[in-house]
Amino acid sequence: MTSLGQIIAAIENYRHSGLGQVQKARTDRDLGERMLQTWREAKDKIGFTVTPTGLRLPRLALPDLDEPGEIARFLWDEGLPGEFPFLTSAYAEQYLDPGSAEPTENEKQQSGVKIGSEEPTRLFAGLGLAEDTNARFHYLSRNQRSKRLSTAFDGPTLYGVGAGADGVFGKIGEGGVAIDTIEDMERLYAGFALDQPDVSVSMTISGPAPILLAMYVAAAKHRFGSDVAAKLRGTIQADVLKEVQAQNELIFPIEPSLRFLADMVDYCSQQMPKWYPISISGYHIAEAGATPVQQAAYTLSNGFAYVDYFRNRGMDANVFGPRLSFFLDCGLDIEYIALLRICRKIWAIGMRDVYGADKRAQTLKLHTQTSGRSLIAADWPNNLTRTALELMLAYMNATNSCHSNSADEPFTTPSEEYARYAAHAQAILLEESGLFKHMMNTLQGSPGMKVVGNAVEEAILEEFREIEQQGGVLGAVERRYQRSQIQAAGYLLERQICNGVRPVVGLNRYNDPDGNWPEVHMIRTAKEKKQLQRDRLQDFEKRHAGEKLQSLDRLSTVVEQGGNVFEELIYTVEHCSLGQITERFCEVVGKFRPMV
Amino acid sequence: MPATRILTAVPICDGHDSAINTINLEFIRHGVEVVYLGYNRSARDIVRAALQEDAVAIGISTYNGGHVEFFEEVLDRLNQLRLTPMIKIFGGGGGTITAEEAKIMYARGVDRIFFAGTPLAEMLGYLRAQYRDVVQQPYERLFIGTDQYLARELTLGERGAPGSPEQIPAATKPDCKTKVIGLTGPGGAGKTTLIDELVYRFLRSRPQNQRVAILAHDPSMIGSGALLGDRATMIYSQDDRVFMRSLATRGQTGGLSPSTHRCLDILRKSELFDVILVETVGTGQEAIPFGSGALGGVDKAVLVVPPDYGSQLQLQKIAMIDSADAIVVNKSDLPGCKTAVAEIEYRIRANQKGQALLRTQANRHRDTGVDQLFESFLGRE
Repeated sequence: MTSLGQIIAAIENYRHSGLGQVQKARTDRDLGERMLQTWREAKDKIGFTVTPTGLRLPRLALPDLDEPGEIARFLWDEGLPGEFPFLTSAYAEQYLDPGSAEPTENEKQQSGVKIGSEEPTRLFAGLGLAEDTNARFHYLSRNQRSKRLSTAFDGPTLYGVGAGADGVFGKIGEGGVAIDTIEDMERLYAGFALDQPDVSVSMTISGPAPILLAMYVAAAKHRFGSDVAAKLRGTIQADVLKEVQAQNELIFPIEPSLRFLADMVDYCSQQMPKWYPISISGYHIAEAGATPVQQAAYTLSNGFAYVDYFRNRGMDANVFGPRLSFFLDCGLDIEYIALLRICRKIWAIGMRDVYGADKRAQTLKLHTQTSGRSLIAADWPNNLTRTALELMLAYMNATNSCHSNSADEPFTTPSEEYARYAAHAQAILLEESGLFKHMMNTLQGSPGMKVVGNAVEEAILEEFREIEQQGGVLGAVERRYQRSQIQAAGYLLERQICNGVRPVVGLNRYNDPDGNWPEVHMIRTAKEKKQLQRDRLQDFEKRHAGEKLQSLDRLSTVVEQGGNVFEELIYTVEHCSLGQITERFCEVVGKFRPMV
Repeated sequence: MPATRILTAVPICDGHDSAINTINLEFIRHGVEVVYLGYNRSARDIVRAALQEDAVAIGISTYNGGHVEFFEEVLDRLNQLRLTPMIKIFGGGGGTITAEEAKIMYARGVDRIFFAGTPLAEMLGYLRAQYRDVVQQPYERLFIGTDQYLARELTLGERGAPGSPEQIPAATKPDCKTKVIGLTGPGGAGKTTLIDELVYRFLRSRPQNQRVAILAHDPSMIGSGALLGDRATMIYSQDDRVFMRSLATRGQTGGLSPSTHRCLDILRKSELFDVILVETVGTGQEAIPFGSGALGGVDKAVLVVPPDYGSQLQLQKIAMIDSADAIVVNKSDLPGCKTAVAEIEYRIRANQKGQALLRTQANRHRDTGVDQLFESFLGRE
């Protein structure tokens, strides 16, 4: 049995013992009394808030329970916010407006309410050259309390190919930002105080992730001093397994890719306590066509596979566990009423009961993005509505951060206008509407949410069982299991759209044959800019020609002798470009063989 | 009616294969033979593959931008080889290709862009109307010795046409230097990876003027379509020194296609290659695709098996074990390898034919087992 088998058993056991606990609370007087006591204490701790209309409300909504069995059931199946099994949320309070909250006794002593100091809104951007994306970051974050910068890279960067490589000219700066050197990295985040706690940066890149993060760290050291690493806040995606299963942007074979990742995670766990060195991602799995259940099952099982891999290297789950983060897609299928909270539950049980990890490692920290695939070109302003509904589902599931897609996403890298609308959708939901800012649990725990959640949980376990039968995650990967399932689901989805089983407004329903929709402002990178990126790269490589070979040889030695590759990369990137480093790695460890 | 053969791919630095996977599936379900080159493929790789496969059209599915430049580069390369307008180009990119860009692309010679929301049936209809009845005539003699001449000969050979005997160079000399190696084995044994790794070693160790050909088979579906996907997982075989051709089995069982021997003959007689590697489809226990001895058309037959072929009883039933020149236990990192090797060793010792037994892990960079296989069969002579 692989560890996934143990996780399946742990979840089944958790459900089973939950029922036992309910019975026991009813029959065992002592336990019953303790339940009532716990419940009273939980209720007493809840602070209050006053709405602009003068309504005084508790900051957490709990059901009216006065029977020990039902209390036990609630605590076991639902849990308090920020408490195991974290169905409601990872933290006790999220999204609440500090302005309207009355400080509790506790908070009075600690001088003020600290909740909700940071917006969950995180806007993904990347276009053209580093300075273009930098300008977009400044534009998007100009009114935010905190600066949460989320970076999309162009194709050549994602594949670790230099802008000067044969045949990639057209791709430079399209769909994301072009980064070739540490100097580009400096330009990318210019003007942001990366050493301050209100700035966090995320980078959506996996294949060459350690090289890019090394550039980020090295660039930050230039600006903020050599001890800045410990202050850097952010996330890098670096998810090897989902690349193999869905996104197809892996560069090196799986084994060395995992090793480079583990080196980076190890380094970050020790030296960069505020950095999330991996974002275990279902987003691309879902976008490639997976069903919501497949998304959740493959992402969670990938997460557990990483835990196994890191532990086998001797790393401590309590040290690296809190630095793992997750990234999921939220679409319009009914599963999404409960999917994200079920993921938190499964993760918590696995981490606690199989790996013995502590609370910080049990909580699944989640970034969500609304579904890109659900957005369509026909009658595209409808996309505003789709995204708004998906946002609602994501926040009902207490995501920790969220990116909302722009309505023009089917056509182009978002224009400023629609990126603004996308950001404002979140502000309208969280700040303008009263749904999330006054009270925790306003929309959690409905009967429908529970019924769907149970069905989703069982379906995820069924997927786990199949993966377990194939020898665990890596065995299933080898057999193309996840890939073939995702592709089959994607094909079915398209067939369902074609034959109308799946209604899509504007496409197979309510379509307007002479559709006269607003013009889209297409974002394109000018030829001159692409050339400029090539020239800059050439110039960098010329200036560093003297140190190149020695730096790369040093790097090869570390790879071959088993040292920490990430640590060495922080030095290498001072003198070598992304393309040069990738090429050297390929010579030493080989290339990823594409799976189709 | 010959099957329509098209080539599909996703451009360089782009891994968005969800659309093309769906489209490929729809095409093959309706009788099209799709040679799929995979994602992150350069214009150079695409054109080389289309030429070698003698595809009537190239379908490109793009998503992350730069499509105008990319399609243009594909067209330029086709033009240089005088393959336009014979090979048509079609493609799509959801909403990312604008109507204006499509106009530019049409002006440069792109045949058709499918916009967002195009039903699968419409694409299939276009394919049938435009590409199904394309007539592929033999090339003029002036092209003899080129890859495109060879590719067309293979097309005609595959159709079973009597070919054009006067254009085929003189019969193979008895001392023909071309060495033909056949690789067979069950699905999932890793044959394609092994071949690509052999090619890697060939390209590095043999002189620049030496070339290798690959004849790769994939099964046809009911309804006669086929997904010819071996190219998609290859890394090193995307090289001008490699000529690869994909064949669908078109109803024949046993691992090869009805035209394999004809095609092999054409490849040999072209005298362009020092080595020809033939890959069968995943075979069953009874298959002896290369026949026995010289009749099979290969100089050496290699059986590739994974360690988990089943019990020893299952092993006894694999007919190919008696006729292969070498048996390779690939994926030697998987559990059960030691047992597999011991069982096979026992069996071939009883055969007393001097069969080689090797252990490889083709998916490992610079695997010494693959080195050994290469040295045994393809090393310097």
